[in-house]
Amino acid sequence: MKKSANNEKFCGNCTSHNAYNYPDQVFCTRRFLKNKNPIVQTLSCCEEYYPSAQECHCISDAKEKKK
Amino acid sequence: MRRNEVLREPVKHVKIGGALTVDQLVRQFKNSGSFGAGRLATACDIYERMLRDRKCTVFLALAGAVVPAGLRTLIADMLRENLLDVVVTTGANMVHDTIEALGGHHYKGHWNVDDYMLYKNHTYRIYDVFVPEEDFIKLDLKLVEMYDEIAAEYNGGSLSSKDFARELGKRLDDPHSILRAAYEAKAPIFIPAVRDSEFGYAYYLHAFRRHFKNALVVDAFKDVPEIIGICKKSSRNGMIVIGGGVPRNTIQSAALATKSGIDYAVVITMDRPEPGGLSGSTLEETVSWGKLKGQADKTMIIGDATMVFPIMAASAIERLGKDFKRTPRQKTEELKPGGSK
Repeated sequence: MKKSANNEKFCGNCTSHNAYNYPDQVFCTRRFLKNKNPIVQTLSCCEEYYPSAQECHCISDAKEKKK
Repeated sequence: MRRNEVLREPVKHVKIGGALTVDQLVRQFKNSGSFGAGRLATACDIYERMLRDRKCTVFLALAGAVVPAGLRTLIADMLRENLLDVVVTTGANMVHDTIEALGGHHYKGHWNVDDYMLYKNHTYRIYDVFVPEEDFIKLDLKLVEMYDEIAAEYNGGSLSSKDFARELGKRLDDPHSILRAAYEAKAPIFIPAVRDSEFGYAYYLHAFRRHFKNALVVDAFKDVPEIIGICKKSSRNGMIVIGGGVPRNTIQSAALATKSGIDYAVVITMDRPEPGGLSGSTLEETVSWGKLKGQADKTMIIGDATMVFPIMAASAIERLGKDFKRTPRQKTEELKPGGSK
């Protein structure tokens, strides 16, 4: 199993993310439970970051859309 | 029994001499009287008799992903037309109903796909139907909002799953929603295993954020006197089962508790009786428990409910005709609204 994309830390490869407004924004459960704004940019990153065990296409699709 | 009593009625072969209505086709099935076609025709007859019986309460048990597979609008319409009185369902079916009510969709997919590819695309699979993950997330956010509101209104009091379904239906404005249709028609929906669905996960999100203080309380035991009360008021009980499981047994147990039993039963399932689970158990087995009357009007169809149920409904609606009006029975207003401390 591949590790999260290139060791770069993004909300889109954090274990707490779920799709929200694909691929631009993700929903963060950890932030939601702490009453912080849970809707964050896929390519941003915050202090709650924890690497995801399984890879998805969020980062690559968000980067491609941003080009 | 003598030979001439056994060999009484020859099979009449299906004849399609041009365009047929649904009920005309079902009547052809009745002529053949054989296998699945014969049972489907019998089911249509039984459902018609349930609806024509002015003293019968019609229960629908829903288990299996029939809402994602396209039966949502049909069930909502049947509730509005008083062709169903009480629904007992899995939480999942009402979750998927709410997803669509909030603007989400289910997509035609395929059963033979790379599921890890779906995972990487944040897409869930229900056999050959796909659901985008964001529809669940948007559902969770909305449910947490609703739970906060309902918890504040009930102020520590508990709701039965019927109250919970009514509160959700009140807050949805999609006319094709089952929860909304039931709310408008004042038809009770019971969700006995409510926590076993996204409703349960949304509860965790809602309760965690308030440190589990003054959180929503849904009390599954409160359902018991409510559904038994419906059976008690009913002179006769009719049960249509899609799948089985907890929803089927919730209805059957209520009928047993009142010692009245079920008078009419149609079960549509793909499950088998050998493992002893309720979804595959025969109606004869149900008779042994006293949940179904020995002389009940009954049939069990081994078939896919996404095909069988719409045919059954269409056939019955066609037979009853446009002018048929059924008296609404067993409405939620008869049961005490609001919570109790």
